[in-house]
Amino acid sequence: MPSFKLDELEIPFEPGDTVIQAAHRVGVDIPHYCWHPGLSVAANCRMCLVEVAPPPGRPAMMLDVLRQDPTTGEYVPAKKPKLQPACQLKAAEGMDVRSQSSPHVAEARGAVQEMLLLNHPVDCPICDQAGECRLQDYWLEHQGTRKRMRDEVIHKPKAQVFGPTIVYDAERCIICTRCVRFCEEVAKDPVLDVRERGNLNEIVVSPGRQLDHGYTLMTEFVCPVGALTAVDFRFKARVWFLRSVRSVCQGCATGCNAFLDYDPRNQTLYRHRPRENLQVNQYWMCDHGMLDYRRAHEDRFVSAYVGEEEVTLEAGVNAAASALREVEPERLAVVLSAQHSNEDNFALLTLARDYLGTGQLFITNKPHGEADGILRHADKNPNTLGVEQLCGTTPPRPLQDLLAAIEAGQITHVLALSSVAPCEVEALQRLKRLVLITPFDGPLAGYADVLLPAATWAESTGTFVNFKGMAQESERAIRPEADARPAWKLIGALGRALGYAIDWQRLSDVRLAMATDPGAVVAPPPSARMAPVGAAE
Amino acid sequence: MLKRTEFLSKNYGVEGGWLIEPYVKSGGYQSAKRALGMTREQVVAEAKAAHIRGRGGAGFDCGTKWSFMPPPGDKPHYLVVNADEGEPGTFKDRTIMEMNPHALIEGCIIGAYAIGAHAAYIYVRDELHLSKARLWGAIHEAREKGYLGERPFGQSWAMQVYVHTGAGAYICGEETALLNSLEGRRGEPRIKPPFPAQYGAFGMPTTVNNVETIAIMPTVFKVGGDAFSRESALHDLGDGGARLFGVSGHVKRPGVYEAAVGLTLRELIYDLGGGILDDRPLLGVIPGGSSCPIMLEEEIVNVEGDERFAPYNGKSVLDLPMGVDTYRRTGNMLGTCCAIVLNDSVDPVRAAQNLARFYRHESCGQCTPCREGCGWIERLFDKVVAGEATLEELNQVHQVASNIMGNTICAFGDGAATPMLAFVRKFRPQFEEYVRRGEAERNARRAALGSGDHGRSLASEAR
Ligand SMILES: Cc1cc2nc3c(=O)[nH]c(=O)nc-3n(C[C@H](O)[C@H](O)[C@H](O)COP(=O)(O)O)c2cc1C
Ligand code: SF4
Ligand code: SF4
Ligand code: SF4
Ligand code: FES
Repeated sequence: MPSFKLDELEIPFEPGDTVIQAAHRVGVDIPHYCWHPGLSVAANCRMCLVEVAPPPGRPAMMLDVLRQDPTTGEYVPAKKPKLQPACQLKAAEGMDVRSQSSPHVAEARGAVQEMLLLNHPVDCPICDQAGECRLQDYWLEHQGTRKRMRDEVIHKPKAQVFGPTIVYDAERCIICTRCVRFCEEVAKDPVLDVRERGNLNEIVVSPGRQLDHGYTLMTEFVCPVGALTAVDFRFKARVWFLRSVRSVCQGCATGCNAFLDYDPRNQTLYRHRPRENLQVNQYWMCDHGMLDYRRAHEDRFVSAYVGEEEVTLEAGVNAAASALREVEPERLAVVLSAQHSNEDNFALLTLARDYLGTGQLFITNKPHGEADGILRHADKNPNTLGVEQLCGTTPPRPLQDLLAAIEAGQITHVLALSSVAPCEVEALQRLKRLVLITPFDGPLAGYADVLLPAATWAESTGTFVNFKGMAQESERAIRPEADARPAWKLIGALGRALGYAIDWQRLSDVRLAMATDPGAVVAPPPSARMAPVGAAE
Repeated sequence: MLKRTEFLSKNYGVEGGWLIEPYVKSGGYQSAKRALGMTREQVVAEAKAAHIRGRGGAGFDCGTKWSFMPPPGDKPHYLVVNADEGEPGTFKDRTIMEMNPHALIEGCIIGAYAIGAHAAYIYVRDELHLSKARLWGAIHEAREKGYLGERPFGQSWAMQVYVHTGAGAYICGEETALLNSLEGRRGEPRIKPPFPAQYGAFGMPTTVNNVETIAIMPTVFKVGGDAFSRESALHDLGDGGARLFGVSGHVKRPGVYEAAVGLTLRELIYDLGGGILDDRPLLGVIPGGSSCPIMLEEEIVNVEGDERFAPYNGKSVLDLPMGVDTYRRTGNMLGTCCAIVLNDSVDPVRAAQNLARFYRHESCGQCTPCREGCGWIERLFDKVVAGEATLEELNQVHQVASNIMGNTICAFGDGAATPMLAFVRKFRPQFEEYVRRGEAERNARRAALGSGDHGRSLASEAR
């Protein structure tokens, strides 16, 4: 592989790489605002300037500038080398690039940084970006001096509503055009652009339009400063109080890699944002997925119910056990869920096949919806393929078949995971008993005789297989609320209440059992290319 | 060396001189006919031999630029003529478009053929209404004669010329901003590479040339490339032919004059321009549009180790022939060859402030150093002029300008920084005088208000 020198490092590159891209790939950061690995090159912020040594025997291109003699105050004509933006500069074999080691680069970056802050309001105390702001970080790393311009800054519109999800502050904007390029290149809806000229310019939404495509929150995410803020997150939290886990979005079968940000003090989720995975979601997520985290706190069951009555978890498990004990295996159906992890489904499958002895396996899922050709998949369930793989050669039948079997009187008892359904479910009325294990309210919940409160994906670690067949782990962020427990744990308890020797105490116990089943995939630990909380790409 | 020529300006001032009849009568369109009978390579070679340095300001050799175009392939090529002429002090291109439009149309045929294009777009700044009308008139006349159309001069090289109206932003004169504007996009310079020869108008291979660069081509093909180059006193420096020189400001006869390359500033000011207005002393000259550093008479040429400069060493820069390389080598810039003359009634501080305002206003704002730096410099000069600046602030001007220099996407940044550096360096005492006077006034005001703690007692009362 060809390589070039960056300061004292040897950086390998692929043909066509820019210097910043090659460095980024091996984890070396050249400071940048406007460059984003998933967007076209604009080279407008000029923060990434580097010095490139001329080829041997050739003079460097020099520019005339002025310095001042510190003692006499006289101007002294001076020369400086022409610097190159690393985001635009194509890497070449043997190139000698100086980033940290060049005093000219240090001066240029300091100057760019000072100029970016020249008319900046510096309202960090009330800015949502504070704590993960490029301007703050780079001020510390590349400037570190006080502002020399003491006059009133240029004032521009603040709190401009761009659409239902995004608010824009033109004073904080550094006109890096990442948001503009994102809308055009990724969201395929060029609804943002720059207006005015010089230091009066600002970002605007096309006349007659709102910023309202399916990826509006990504504009906030790619904004390296606090110019774009999300209505959902505005003034809700300071990022330095947040912690992150590596999650997998539950919104559809694409399985976008994400960070789930939560406040450990109040065990509350605040944000869902993309985590780089070039095979899955590149750097992006859709609005639906980014807001889907809120569901973890909505329409929840956090205690067990027998009929309408709230009971202790133990009483709920016992009630479930007695409901299941009264039926012969032929009349009992078990419903797996495309909404739940491999671990949860494996536990249920094991209970059904190995202990309850029923072959009546079904799967439930959310109804299909729209695909957008960008990220969103028509299958709105995160683990359809995982459940199919688990079941191996006898795939679970769709919920509609179960309803037909109930109508025909063949099935009288059902043990089901999750309350979602792809269709109308009145037929469930005819059941003698429905035992439901679910975190959320939903179509099935109204028919449950016994309901056990499961943990959400945010409250438990699990494996999800996306439509491409990639098994990915989603980590637990917060503790299960009240009596909620991971579904596999509830299933284990149910099995024990039924008198079976199931001893799953920890996730690793379930995964150990899964190891003997070739269909039961456990994801490798997730990658984390981006910083958990802090500056984005 | 003053040598007046009339290649482009023969019909200037002649009523109806812009029509096709007088143009054809004096041999017009014969060059285009001749060029279309040559091979593409021969045309480029002829242009190279003429050593036409781009008349738009950058001074790049035209024939060489044409040779960068890829060979004709499956993509259409375009010739784009830069008629945005927005550089302050520059007003030569409009004279061609108004009084000799056929030279430009004929030049377009030659240039387009040389680069493998069948279409030329002339991008004219909005305000030049007469230019646009005369160009369209010329295009219609040429179409009628069949010089433009499917088979000009019976040759199978279909050719069309279009006039496109710009929206009057200075930055749209920068060639890639011009291309964006031509395409209907925001007039912002593109990052390079890719250069227009690879990815130009509508993504196709394109050459952008100045009006005068193209309009001189019929002359080149009439006189012969080498012969035309030798008109110039700087033929040996690869700077050939004749060109239009503009002179404005404090001269008695401001205007556009055609002369062989090699003219000196002194000749331009005194012989062509009639001398300094009111016969006052000269403060300085901005030689080729406002982006060039101001030159003072007392500056002396001193280029070591080059024979060709021996005759000029020791002389005033006003006596140095105006050429791309003669100026570059002496730390000056030729630009568009349209000089702005300032006599001693001009306050250089106010002049610098005026220019700074222009650059702040015209920066496209795409890249940080230019967007913020131009505004910062304007602010500093505003404060200097208002007597509100400190010496420390005056000392920031060259720092800001030096950090714009070379760090931007397009040459606008350098074009804004260069004159600022020249002004503060060459007129430092005048700038300091403003600062000192301002400080003295502030002190006097303070003293008039009584003791130094007057302000403080007011503040405590308010509390
Ligand atoms: C800020 C800026 C403004 C410019 N304005 C003009 C202009 O008005 N007319 C022009 O011919 N060239 C202008 N140029 C130069 C063009 O970019 C380009 O070099 C020129 O059109 C090339 O033609 P030439 O090689 O024939 O000179 C400008 C350049 C810059 C950086
Ligand atoms: S954008 Fe950054 S620097 Fe500006 S106010 Fe927000 S946190 Fe502070
Ligand atoms: S809003 Fe943010 S992303 Fe968009 S141009 Fe401004 S700083 Fe860049
Ligand atoms: S240098 Fe100035 S004019 Fe040129 S691209 Fe940058 S901001 Fe625009
Ligand atoms: S990252 Fe902005 S110029 Fe390179």
